[in-house]
Amino acid sequence: MNQQTVLEFARGPFFYFALLFMLFGLAYRLFSVISLGWSKNRVPNKGSQAKGVFMTFLKGVLIWPFIPWVKNTFTRNPLIYIGGGLFHLSLFVVIILGTPHMLVTKSLVGVQWATLPLPIVDFMAATGIIAMLILLVNRMIHPVMKLISGPAEYLAWLFVFLPMITGYMMTHHIGGSYESLFTRHMITVDVLMIWIPLSRLSHFVFYFFSRAIHGQEFGKRGVAV
Amino acid sequence: MSTTEKAMEAFVHETGSWVAAQLESCTRCGMCAEACHFYQATGNPEYAPVWKMELLRRAYEQRFTLVGGIKLSLGLDKPITDEEIAHWGELNYEACTVCNKCSMVCPMGIDIGSLLHGMRAGLAAAGAIPADLAAAVTKQVDEGSPLGMTDKVWDQRLEWVADEWEVEIPRDVKGATTLVVFSSIEVMKFPANVAAIAKVLNKAGEKWTVSSKAREIVNFGFYEGSEEHTKLFLNRVLDGAKDLGVKRIVVTECGHAYDALRWHAANWIPEASNFEVIHITGVLGELIGSGRIKIKPGFFNDGGKITFHDACKIQRKGGHIQEPRDILKVLAPDAFIEMTPNREESVCCGGGGGVIAVKAADPVRYASFELKIDQVNTVSAKTVAMTCSNCRLQFTDGVDHFKLDWKVAGLSQMVADALEE
Repeated sequence: MNQQTVLEFARGPFFYFALLFMLFGLAYRLFSVISLGWSKNRVPNKGSQAKGVFMTFLKGVLIWPFIPWVKNTFTRNPLIYIGGGLFHLSLFVVIILGTPHMLVTKSLVGVQWATLPLPIVDFMAATGIIAMLILLVNRMIHPVMKLISGPAEYLAWLFVFLPMITGYMMTHHIGGSYESLFTRHMITVDVLMIWIPLSRLSHFVFYFFSRAIHGQEFGKRGVAV
Repeated sequence: MSTTEKAMEAFVHETGSWVAAQLESCTRCGMCAEACHFYQATGNPEYAPVWKMELLRRAYEQRFTLVGGIKLSLGLDKPITDEEIAHWGELNYEACTVCNKCSMVCPMGIDIGSLLHGMRAGLAAAGAIPADLAAAVTKQVDEGSPLGMTDKVWDQRLEWVADEWEVEIPRDVKGATTLVVFSSIEVMKFPANVAAIAKVLNKAGEKWTVSSKAREIVNFGFYEGSEEHTKLFLNRVLDGAKDLGVKRIVVTECGHAYDALRWHAANWIPEASNFEVIHITGVLGELIGSGRIKIKPGFFNDGGKITFHDACKIQRKGGHIQEPRDILKVLAPDAFIEMTPNREESVCCGGGGGVIAVKAADPVRYASFELKIDQVNTVSAKTVAMTCSNCRLQFTDGVDHFKLDWKVAGLSQMVADALEE
């Protein structure tokens, strides 16, 4: 099997399989959580749940990331806060605002949008990679992180890190022919997509639930979120 | 059924979509650790809130998820053991006040406090409760109060308070609007608070009463996490309220009791929604705001700085954040000063959630109180006001233990002292 065949497989059948596996896997996970049943709340509210939900998303997405120093969370956890924040920002910039990734989405669903110039995306990718390395070291040495981390956490880290590093190497033509770099990137992306529904990496789906619950809980008590 | 099976059954019972969605959301980032006063005070990684609920998560993963089932059958995860149940019993009852500060810092917004309460449900079902806490629960089941406030003692104490402070305490008045249920902590340890609340309500012309049937608001079943006991104690209060035909129930200066009756009772006992449940802090705010009672402005201005300690269940989880500040700004406009952090972000006293009743928790309880000492000393306050008797118990004990020269004050008492004649 030559390089070209492997690449065709990784960006062809394997890619589509991984993508569908991710989508159906996540749908299954979502369904199995939702189908456990929600109990009805009969307690009269003091404040507005809707306001709480609105405010918690607003603050979580638009306010705290930009003025983190007002939160104690930040002053006591600057490393996780900044590292985690930059990593996620990097992920969004690279996946959504990177031209090649937009083109993949375009080829799949036909929608396109403006992207950022390569140097900016490239800088963000490097930032994300460095943030991940720092977070990994922190996970390995911080007593709490050591306690709560097992194979699942390190595997999740690895499966996210590989597409990022191979993507970066591909952009900079480091470590082999274009075909082989592209192949490595595609395979790691495919593996990541398969791993997402099997692991905690699916948290981005459940984030919307837990955030909304937070808003409801604080909102109904009339407490700022 | 083995200990573990009982715990597992309770964990499964606790786990609906609400709990599952939040467990699925956790990324194990570890940020909640720094929010916990027990972790901050000791640096023990096992006190990280995410770790304290580990068994609830594992139970969920093993019973409800495909991946969890596969891991279990491949030996990558092991069934929960009796030893683990016992160990997590210590972590949860000795080093957690269920204050829910962790929920404020969780980037995913997980309501960790509620999940930790679910954790307690499993531990309680398995009997993994510290012996002194279990004894207090049994005492409340048998005698009606964990502090030995039997019918007779309650009767005598209220009589004595009425005599000593020359205040009328209406008893078992049918047709009264408001039922006031004191905590045994107040009746037994802070009787001046009982007198103060009576004085304020009488002054306001409130049609109120106490009930000899509903004489204890404290709910040790809620501390323990046992739904059965929590309901038993809630029903005693609700039955008293029903007999007297009152419209609302006032919870006095007790936090956990307020959380149980105000925010949970109606979901367990539908009749609870027939009554308005309000904390005394809300009542004070109402009475002063509407002018039904008047307090002397600046009454506490000259005794050194006064700060306010926010209780987890009354402020952060109860929403009575603004009223105490409005009142203190009238009573001590120049002397009142805020600690940092405050309001919903406040640091727990360290004695709530039943922790103060557990002897083995004393070292960590005192260690976490040192955070409070730093906070109060930073603003050089001489008086710390609060609206929770459980916090107050922890503060008076802490002041004694660390030989501090602070005054610890209940807000109701301050209001009663400053009433305009």
